[in-house]
Amino acid sequence: MVLADLGKKITGAFKQLNSATVVDEQLVDAFLGDISKALLESDVNIKQVKRLRDNVKKSISFDENVPGMNRRRLLQQAVQQELTRLVDPGILPYVPQKGKQNVIMFVGLQGSGKTTSCTKLGYYYMKKGWKVCLICADTFRAGAFDQLKQNCTKARIPFYGSYTETDPVVIAAEGVEKFKAEKFEIIIVDTSGRHKQEEGLFEEMLQVSQAVDPDNIVFVMDASIGQAAELQAAAFKGQVDVGSVIITKLDGHAKGGGALSAVAATQSPIIFMGTGEHLDDFEPFAAKPFVSKLLGMGDIGGLMEV
Amino acid sequence: FSNFFDGITGNKEITKDVLNGALNQYREHLVDKNVANDVATELCTGIEESLIGTKMSTLKGVKKIVKDSLQASLSRILSSNRRIDIIRDIELANTGAGGGGQRPYVIAFCGVNGVGKSTNLAKVCYWLLHNNLTVTIAACDTFRAGAVEQLRVHQSALRQTIKDPSQIELFDQGYGKDAAGVASDAIKQASAMCRNVVLVDTAGRMQNNVPLMRSLAKLVNVNKPDLLLFVGEALVGNEAVDQLSKFNEALTDFSPTETPRLIDGMILTKFDTIDDKVGAAVSMTYTTGKPVIFVGTGQTYRDLKKLDIPTIVSTLLT
Ligand SMILES: Nc1nc2c(ncn2[C@@H]2O[C@H](COP(=O)(O)OP(=O)(O)OP(=O)(O)O)[C@@H](O)[C@H]2O)c(=O)[nH]1
Ligand SMILES: Nc1nc2c(ncn2[C@@H]2O[C@H](COP(=O)(O)OP(=O)(O)OP(=O)(O)O)[C@@H](O)[C@H]2O)c(=O)[nH]1
Ligand SMILES: [Mg+2]
Ligand SMILES: [Mg+2]
Repeated sequence: MVLADLGKKITGAFKQLNSATVVDEQLVDAFLGDISKALLESDVNIKQVKRLRDNVKKSISFDENVPGMNRRRLLQQAVQQELTRLVDPGILPYVPQKGKQNVIMFVGLQGSGKTTSCTKLGYYYMKKGWKVCLICADTFRAGAFDQLKQNCTKARIPFYGSYTETDPVVIAAEGVEKFKAEKFEIIIVDTSGRHKQEEGLFEEMLQVSQAVDPDNIVFVMDASIGQAAELQAAAFKGQVDVGSVIITKLDGHAKGGGALSAVAATQSPIIFMGTGEHLDDFEPFAAKPFVSKLLGMGDIGGLMEV
Repeated sequence: FSNFFDGITGNKEITKDVLNGALNQYREHLVDKNVANDVATELCTGIEESLIGTKMSTLKGVKKIVKDSLQASLSRILSSNRRIDIIRDIELANTGAGGGGQRPYVIAFCGVNGVGKSTNLAKVCYWLLHNNLTVTIAACDTFRAGAVEQLRVHQSALRQTIKDPSQIELFDQGYGKDAAGVASDAIKQASAMCRNVVLVDTAGRMQNNVPLMRSLAKLVNVNKPDLLLFVGEALVGNEAVDQLSKFNEALTDFSPTETPRLIDGMILTKFDTIDDKVGAAVSMTYTTGKPVIFVGTGQTYRDLKKLDIPTIVSTLLT
């Protein structure tokens, strides 16, 4: 399971806490140390780990008169709240409207899984009976159009692209215009991989976005990414109006915590997880059940009642 | 008074307590620079063990002592023991001086999905072409959509940079074929044509995907590349350790011989996307004990560099 390691470690830390007789400051520090270590090993951004630690610490009092049992409960609530904040920005994701022309643009770092995830998202809606199409606005990556074409052919999704036109803005605009006229409901625009350090690439992303005026911009992030995640995600958000996040490659041992930084940095909810290279290796994501699962809430809840 | 005299004569003994603060600070610093948490911890534990019990001059200060030891130990990790001179090794293989008769030198590229295997293979190819070597690219990613066309586009773009188009050749058998077999056919053909180098592109695979890891091991066992390169991106976090150890583990477990071919070195890609978060270089070299042979610093053919160890170490410590 996704972030399973993290879940195990956090549950372990809680067990330790519960087996102690006195919940004093020393024990709480040790507990928070364990939690922090678990988060860092999962690539959660170090600043966020520190914030979580401080917030949790602040939430409990070491006043002699507060019984240890209360402290335990407060700790559990605080940790849960902070973890939820990590994966849930508290914003509802964009929901495509049936019968309308929903334009969805994909952006992200090189190789993060945009093209693959475009097809997966298209396939997901197609199976639900929507009229779906894809546009290849990546004229940079070698073989990009062939990749999208082969993916779409396999999924039986109509597509648009060009071997000769070199301007992605032109292709994107033409494609969207054509498919809108044909009353497609989900119009997905795939773009090249890019990074904040290369201004020209970021400028191009803005131009494509202005040309197609998307209803939603999806930021795709690889689950194995480490501490550089936050800076990149924030930069994408700074340039275009990112509205959702897709985390990919969660079928590896990936810790996933780095990708969570994308949530904080873009203030956008995760909508899907990529769990493999095949078309249907794709799962919708919901933050709250995810955190409960992560914390093995059933177990902890039970232990807390003692 | 005794403390004061200890101070100037440099006789104060270093204890765990004295080191604790500085070590913790540096450990967090390394994690922030994207060194894997376990690696940073082990590194700092090593430093602690080597320093406890030694004497320090208080003039220097604990922080400085820790920093100096870290600097030395990071440099050591990054400059791994094996020096690899690819151009010389190619000549040895081609002339038969390296044993096994005259043959092309084979480099295979492996790694997880999307890290830049094919792109950096093309960069290595550019470098070889401009060293006047003939190259056959073996399209052994027979799975991912567009993988073969991607290499074909590179072939024609690379041809634009040289006088003799036949200096580069793409060998492919389309999609769905067994990768080990494609590589083997490519090497046979390259041998017959007396080409200098074969570059084997492979499909991306997750380190825990057993069937795919088995098939990589097969490709390696059957074709015995002279150089097996692991391509990893500088963006990767804690996962770097698991990726590399699992790749080597699979190569060991699925090898028919007692002396399996393991990863010889790494290509660290997307170095241009990470600012000062250069820690993956440490995680990877620490895990394998093998060198970073090339660094990918962009998306053009010229964006292939050598690892500049002093700069990395100083970036890590500032
Ligand atoms: N295992 C696994 N592989 C994935 C997943 N999503 C994508 N991939 C693989 O990751 C690699 C890169 O995916 P692409 O879709 O080409 O990535 P991209 O972001 O479009 O890349 P660029 O266009 O070059 O920036 C391919 O090998 C995909 O098959 C996933 O969820 N799991
Ligand atoms: N910024 C930057 N991008 C890179 C670098 N190396 C590769 N890329 C980009 O990363 C993306 C993926 O590269 P590929 O070469 O297709 O990766 P791969 O490992 O072969 O991918 P799969 O075969 O699908 O597993 C492409 O968009 C490349 O242009 C680099 O050093 N810097
Ligand atoms: Mg793409
Ligand atoms: Mg490839």
